[in-house]
Amino acid sequence: MDRVVILGAGISGHTAALHLQRQLKNKVDIVVVSPNSNWNWIPSNIWVGVGKMTKDQVTFPLAPIYKRKHIDFRQAKAVAIHPEGSAGTGQAFVDIVYTDPTRAGEEEQITYDYLIVATGPKLNFAATPGLGPDANSWSVCTAGHAEQSSAALEAIIEALKAGEKKTLVIGVGHGTCTCEGAAFEYTFNVEHELRERGVRELADVVYLSNEYDLGDLGVGGMTFAQNGFETSSKMWTESLFRERGVRAILRAHVERVDPGVIHYEVLDGSKHTLDFDFAMLLPPFRGVDMKAYANNGDDITDNLFAPNGFLRVDGDYEAKPFEEWTPEDWPKTYQCPRYANVFGVGIAFAPPHAISEPRKSPNGTVISPAPPRTGMPSGVMGRTVALSIAERIRHGGEAPLRTASMAAMGAACIASAGTGLRKGSAAAITMYPIIPDRKRFPGSGRDLSQTSGEIGLSGHWTKLLLHYLFIYKAKARFGWFMIPE
Amino acid sequence: MSDVDRSIAEAPLPTGGTLRRRKSLFYQATRFVAFNLRMMKMVTRAHH
Repeated sequence: MDRVVILGAGISGHTAALHLQRQLKNKVDIVVVSPNSNWNWIPSNIWVGVGKMTKDQVTFPLAPIYKRKHIDFRQAKAVAIHPEGSAGTGQAFVDIVYTDPTRAGEEEQITYDYLIVATGPKLNFAATPGLGPDANSWSVCTAGHAEQSSAALEAIIEALKAGEKKTLVIGVGHGTCTCEGAAFEYTFNVEHELRERGVRELADVVYLSNEYDLGDLGVGGMTFAQNGFETSSKMWTESLFRERGVRAILRAHVERVDPGVIHYEVLDGSKHTLDFDFAMLLPPFRGVDMKAYANNGDDITDNLFAPNGFLRVDGDYEAKPFEEWTPEDWPKTYQCPRYANVFGVGIAFAPPHAISEPRKSPNGTVISPAPPRTGMPSGVMGRTVALSIAERIRHGGEAPLRTASMAAMGAACIASAGTGLRKGSAAAITMYPIIPDRKRFPGSGRDLSQTSGEIGLSGHWTKLLLHYLFIYKAKARFGWFMIPE
Repeated sequence: MSDVDRSIAEAPLPTGGTLRRRKSLFYQATRFVAFNLRMMKMVTRAHH
């Protein structure tokens, strides 16, 4: 029986595991390796970060789900891939180290016929001195981090209630960060919470980002058709900032976070400081620390992984200027070019380049967003690779692979701007395609009939609906597969 | 005032009517249906 090993149990890896099991039932041996015991619906961490949801509402244990689905779950982290096996065997395998408290530190080798790398990102707080919950700023990247942020925010609100003025800085903690959408969401959820608690007047809320313009969100901004005009996401977002009285510092690379002081450089090369009482700054991402070895023991990590630690797949990784970027650069099958039975999905695959225009300061500092690979495309990639592998297991190794290029895929993004069934709001955005295609769609590079944005209470309802739907789906409950990624 | 501050200060403010529509249960119910239909169309397209 073929064995498929899936490294990672986030949106992409978990989706792949469930679809593979559904496709092949007991005709495949599926092993999921994840250092975390829980699944986390990350988009709702924003609400944990403002105390509107608990950690338990956005996470659940994976082991019972995998037991019910006859999927072998190992709570462990993968540390090395041996895609050629060891000398003499030819059987590919991965080295894992258990994080399961009952087997902590124990090492094991797991052989595979197919490997899906869905390890997500390493939260690279170390890239910026002083960044992160172990140092001088908060995060909402995990449910645990979000709980810490919520507690810190509560302390700030109490101080505001006592009449103290406070500065709250929310944004990204490095010039190459991605996930500006999450920083945007947390900014407006915090602002909403401050208003709800009657302390908004004493709070200075500042959004600090590496985006060139507001509304860039790492996808180069968007153009919407509204009321007979083409409107930019820049103007649309600036309108929200003006309405809600939020200040913005853009084109910024955070160099260092000292207690109460952020040191940052902006695109013109000038350097500044910003005092704060509360800072939630997202870290840059890189691939998890994993090595790769040939069967003679040679280190081939650089062959399999890009310098940022993400797995090279079937994209065009040739360095070229922004003007020469094309949609065809982006991977379609997520198959590793050197090893046909290895795939990389979700945040773990190496993007060929950014989506937003790359920029450097006169000091040579890169200050532009990395490309986001959010829930919807990650889920679609996981499902697509699962179906490709299922067909190869059924029909042999030459069965055609399915495709799911981000250049041929749309995305919906619901950016919460405050909670409450009657008082909540969110920016509800759709875009098609995710990667702009200026040949097919001259101008913005996206289909105006399918790229839209609107702000209102209904966006909050949609985000809440997705929260319940995707947790239901991830728990593999009755009819889960009918809920699309 | 920085360029960013100036740009935000000059951004269009929503009118009272727009703000009321953003909160109106009836109007937002129609937007909820419309957005979810649009999203489903996009999701369906992404799966084929």
